[in-house]
Amino acid sequence: MVLSDIYLWLSYSHVPTRKINRLLENMSPSQLWDSFDEENIYSLDDKTFGQLKRTRNIEYIERAKFYLKQNNINYVTRADPIYPSMLMQKEVDPPPVLYYKGDLSILRQPCLAVVGTRQASQYGRYVTEHIVTELASAFTIVSGMATGIDGYAHRAALSAGGKTVAVLGSGLFNASPASNLRLFDQICQDGLAISEYTPDTHATEYTFPQRNRIISGASRGVLVVEASLRSGSLITANCALDQGRDVFAIPGDIDKQRSQGTNRLIKSGAIAVTCADDILDYYSIKAKKSQAKSIALDFAEQRVMEVLDMGEKSFDGLVEMCGMTVSELNTALSALLIYGLIHEKSNNLYAVSR
Amino acid sequence: MLAKINSYALNGLDGYGVTVEVDIHMGLPNIDVVGLPDTAVKESRERVRSAIKNSGYDFSPRKITVNLAPAHTKKEGPIFDLAIALGVLLSTEQAGVDEHNNPLKSVKDYVFLGELSLSGEVTRINGVMPMLIAAREQGIKKIVIPKANINEAKYIRGIDVFAVQNLREAVALLNGETISPIDKCDVVLDSTNCGGEDLKYVKGQYAAKRALEIAAAGGHNIIMIGAPGGGKTMLAKCLSGILPDLTEAEALETTKIHSVAGLLDENSGIVSVRPFRSPHHTASRVALTGGGPSAKPGEISYSHNGVLFLDELPEYPRSVLEILRQPLEDGVISVSRVSRSVEYPANFMLVASMNPCPCGYYGSATHQCTCSPSQIQKYMSRISGPLLDRIDLHINVDEVNYDDLTTDADAESSANVKARVNAARAVQTARYAGTNVHSNAKMTGEMIKKYCVLDAAGERILQAAFDKLGMSARAYTRILKVARTIADLDGKADISSAHVAEAVMYRSLDKAVK
Repeated sequence: MVLSDIYLWLSYSHVPTRKINRLLENMSPSQLWDSFDEENIYSLDDKTFGQLKRTRNIEYIERAKFYLKQNNINYVTRADPIYPSMLMQKEVDPPPVLYYKGDLSILRQPCLAVVGTRQASQYGRYVTEHIVTELASAFTIVSGMATGIDGYAHRAALSAGGKTVAVLGSGLFNASPASNLRLFDQICQDGLAISEYTPDTHATEYTFPQRNRIISGASRGVLVVEASLRSGSLITANCALDQGRDVFAIPGDIDKQRSQGTNRLIKSGAIAVTCADDILDYYSIKAKKSQAKSIALDFAEQRVMEVLDMGEKSFDGLVEMCGMTVSELNTALSALLIYGLIHEKSNNLYAVSR
Repeated sequence: MLAKINSYALNGLDGYGVTVEVDIHMGLPNIDVVGLPDTAVKESRERVRSAIKNSGYDFSPRKITVNLAPAHTKKEGPIFDLAIALGVLLSTEQAGVDEHNNPLKSVKDYVFLGELSLSGEVTRINGVMPMLIAAREQGIKKIVIPKANINEAKYIRGIDVFAVQNLREAVALLNGETISPIDKCDVVLDSTNCGGEDLKYVKGQYAAKRALEIAAAGGHNIIMIGAPGGGKTMLAKCLSGILPDLTEAEALETTKIHSVAGLLDENSGIVSVRPFRSPHHTASRVALTGGGPSAKPGEISYSHNGVLFLDELPEYPRSVLEILRQPLEDGVISVSRVSRSVEYPANFMLVASMNPCPCGYYGSATHQCTCSPSQIQKYMSRISGPLLDRIDLHINVDEVNYDDLTTDADAESSANVKARVNAARAVQTARYAGTNVHSNAKMTGEMIKKYCVLDAAGERILQAAFDKLGMSARAYTRILKVARTIADLDGKADISSAHVAEAVMYRSLDKAVK
């Protein structure tokens, strides 16, 4: 029996990775395959024993391999040399097999995980896009393809021409949420989508926290953008600590629920990040910086910038402070938004982009 | 004796002549009405009987057969009461006969319309204006209507209209007494009382007010999105005060529909300000489009040349919203029922408001939204893409802060805004003269090419907006149309880059859905 087929057996048995890795602590996979018998000699619980026994069938594994090939799903087992080395670490609890679509080699470049709440604010979106765009040239951006921050991070990385990896909490055939399916296709095309689950597996409430350890495991550090105290992103941050990865967090307003998680991370020792350079300097990486073009602003635009430099302002506030007509102000705001000098923080609330 | 009296009926907004034939013969005393009458027509038997008796005439206890010809179309409403009563009187030789009891020739010249009360009064009916217009086109010269309908009849020239108060007056007319027809007058549109709220009481909300001004000037559909309590409904109510004045042709078109529906104000007789209709979200599809067995007009036709305001848009059943798509494009709704098929004009401006999510606070600066992403998506998806495609302006309306609420200073009044809107609309009317387009919003593809030419700077801004702000392609023509209106408000013949830049600001939904 080939070693990679044995790993496939372990993967297709659907026994939780943790249990498999505990079994493999004492013996090699080949030993397990050979010695696995009618009798439960490893004193496994009945369910696990049944799962392993049912799938320990050469024909079954051959069929699985044929099925994967037929559906253009690549896989890499721990027996393969191209298995991502970062994930081999014991604390990551490496899955026996990774199923993937796209270019696996981008996991070998330095990776950074960018995660956050599904209920991102417009501010969170802006921060994610802003920072990821600058980091994309230096890092492969790893995230979980959820709505909110995850999705923004993937999209920003792709549109900045960088590489991005989506770690799914389900099999590759059941990518979710539906709103990100186009993103998923794009990631499969230009990046990498991986999953430790066999392609037909459906996501459950347990699979998402499980895959978080792979997001952090594959990365050198984890950047948490926005997270409430109950956010799954904090699980990722914890995994990162267990695995010895760095944890970065974006500070936020202390009265906002979405910032409480990140602020607590900072309090307990995470590195506060206010710009992309904070991360790049930490790793002593010099990113290729695009030369900031100096844009000639007209009078109205300058006036708006002056007012916004004093702090964020609502549209109504701007009308009163700038002393121009609504029409002029709209024109100026529109131009400034297009230049990327300002952004809409929440509805009708504008702030300078830094 | 057999008597024939002319009357008139409507099919949608088109009219057709109805001959009321009354025959009296021996048999058990009874009145039969044939010719597909509806319940209101059938009941006219009782009204006619009492009206004749109470007007001092004799109602002979014989068998009376009333036929409404042509017999194959459905007749509805009480408008034939007067004609039936006169037919009965004619056939019993109590009216309209000469000394030898032969019917007078002049009877055939008149068309009689009117409902009777039991006392013999002729009471107000619906649909007089479209009937007069249709009758005039069919060459009818003399028409008799209830006195209560005189106000809407006085604007229709080219046809002699006689107004009667009661059955006796109608009989006198039939007997050949000379009554002078009512005086006609020009359409005078009094736009001073347009209803709604005044913009000067709306504090803050500058962006929204500007967007409303643009929408009113160009007839653009607009959607306001924002947290509860932001004043979306209040803003919408202000809209009727800044809509451009109706032109005479528009006023007559709208009046026709309102006349059919019985919405017309008895005292003015013409719709002089643009209608503002806000059906509740429990409204059925038929209530909106029109229909029913008799293919009546619906809310979208009532708001012809005016505003259809749908508050809390996602609360409307999707099936109701989807039916708006075709009228929004074509400006007409064709209502087909088994018995008839009618086309009503429905050239309205759609104004909608909605919350951004079920809890209402998504994207709010002051409140935390408690909805899950899938809830928000589900909420937004209640409004289909094709419907949103047809909405030119999207604006966020957020809560007003306390300082703004408590300022004493009045904001700019509706009258000032309306003056600008009127000027911009006059430019459009001149530009589209000779076509059936009245406003920028209804520009055809060809017109957009002709009138919405961008200079190089404008092109650059638009290009950059698409790249940087993630605009969708469907926004393109919408932005051009809105930019055209902004330029018109600005009094400029050409669209400059500033106009384009401002127009880009009113596409918040396009920016959000990336």
